[in-house]
Amino acid sequence: MNRRLYGALGLSALTAMLVALYMVFVWVPTEADQGIVQRIFYFHVPCAWVAFASFGLVAIAGIFYLWMGAQIWDDLGYAAVEIGMLFCTLVLITGSLWAKPIWGTWWTWDSRLTTTFVLWLMYGGYLMLRTIADDTQQIARFAAVIGIVAALDVPVVIVSVRLWRTIHPAVLVTRQGGHGLEDPRMVVTLLVSLAAFTLLFAWLLLLRFSELRMRTRLAALAREIALARFRAGAA
Amino acid sequence: MNAFLAILRKDLILELRGGRSTTALVSLALLVLVVLTFALDRTAGGGPATAAGALWIALVFAGMLGATRVMVAEHENGCLRALLLSPVDRAILYAAKLTASTTFMIAAALAATIMAMLFFNLEFSDSLVTLAIALILGALGFSALATLLAAISIRARGGELLLPLLIVPLFVPALIAGVKASAAALSGAPLAAAREWVGILVAFDVLFIAAGYLLFEHVVGEE
Repeated sequence: MNRRLYGALGLSALTAMLVALYMVFVWVPTEADQGIVQRIFYFHVPCAWVAFASFGLVAIAGIFYLWMGAQIWDDLGYAAVEIGMLFCTLVLITGSLWAKPIWGTWWTWDSRLTTTFVLWLMYGGYLMLRTIADDTQQIARFAAVIGIVAALDVPVVIVSVRLWRTIHPAVLVTRQGGHGLEDPRMVVTLLVSLAAFTLLFAWLLLLRFSELRMRTRLAALAREIALARFRAGAA
Repeated sequence: MNAFLAILRKDLILELRGGRSTTALVSLALLVLVVLTFALDRTAGGGPATAAGALWIALVFAGMLGATRVMVAEHENGCLRALLLSPVDRAILYAAKLTASTTFMIAAALAATIMAMLFFNLEFSDSLVTLAIALILGALGFSALATLLAAISIRARGGELLLPLLIVPLFVPALIAGVKASAAALSGAPLAAAREWVGILVAFDVLFIAAGYLLFEHVVGEE
C-alpha cells in the first residue's frame, strides 16, 4: 500500500544523505579550535535528534495504545523504540569518539551524557521485555506502560543531573565555550544533515512499521483460518 | 478506603506471622553492606559520601527483592485473580500494595542505616532527620516503581530477569538525589543543604505514584 511512498522517501533520504556527506567532508570549513574532529558534530547531533524523537514517539504511541487499544499504536511504538535504540547507541558512540580527543576522555558523568545513557538503559530494558516475552496483547500493554513511565522519568533525570556538573555544551547554535558555529556554512551543513537524518528516520520507521502491520494482519488471518477450519470440522 | 485497609492489614498480618519479606530484605541489605565495606576502601577518606552510596545500594537491592515478594505472594496462590475479581478499584489495590512494600523497605532501611553507621564509623548527629527523610522518600519512590513493574514481571515470561533491568534505570534520578541528600546528612550538614535533592525526591515520588496509580489498571488488565 505504501510502496510508492517509501520508495520516494528512501530515495530522498539517500539523496539528502549523499548531499550531507559531501557538505560535511568537502564543503564545510574545518573548525578552528577542534580541527577535523569537529565534523563528527554533523552526525552526532542529528543522531541525538532522531533518538529523542523516536523515544517521544514511543511514549505518544503508548498513551494512544492504552487509550484506544488499537494494535496500530503498538506497532508504531515497537518500530520507534528499535530505531530510537539504534540512534541512541550511535549518539553514545560518536560522542565518545569526539570526547576522547577534545575532553581527553571517552566518557564522563556529565549531565547530558548521563541522561542519554540512562535513556539507553531504560529503552534497553523495554526492548528486552519485548524480545523475551511472547503474549502479544499483554506485552503490548506492558510495553505501553513502560514507554510512558520512561518518558516521565526523563525530565526528572535531567533535573537531578543538572544540579551535578556539566561540560557538554548546552546550547548548540550559539557562540559559547568555543562550540559556536562561527561560519554560516556550518549552520547550513547542520540543517541539511538534520533534514537527511529526519528523512532516514521517517523511511526506517515506515519500513519497520509496515512490516509490523503486515505481521499483525498475518496473525489475524491465521486466526481466521484456524477458526474457519474449526467450524468446518465441527459442522 | 475499607478495601485499602483490608488489603494492607492482610499484608502486614501475613508479614508479622511469617515475617519472610522483612527478614529477607534486612538480611540482604546487611549482606550488601558487608560486601561493600570490604570492597570499598574505607580509609581513603570516602567517609559520608561512601557510606551514603553503600546505604543506597543496599536499599536498592533489598527493594528489588521486597517489591516482588508483595506481588509474587499474591500471584503464586492465585490470590491476585481473586483480588481482581472482587469489586476493588485497581488503584486502591495499587495503593495498598505500595504502602505494604514501602513499610517493609523502611524497616530494611532502618536496619541498614544502623549497620552502615557502625561499619563506616559515622557519628550520630542531629541531621539524621535529613537522612530519614531521604530514605523514606527513596523507599516510597522505589516502591512506586517496583509495585507497578513487579505486576508486569510476574506475568511476563522471564520477568524476574527483567525486573532489575527495568527498575534500576528508572530509579536513577531518585538514586542520585537520595545519595546526595544522604551524603550531606551524614557529613553533618543541615537540612537546608540537601533541600534541592529532597525536592527532587519529592517530585519523583509524586510523579511515579501518580503514574502507578493511573497505569496499574492497564498492567493487571482484565483477567
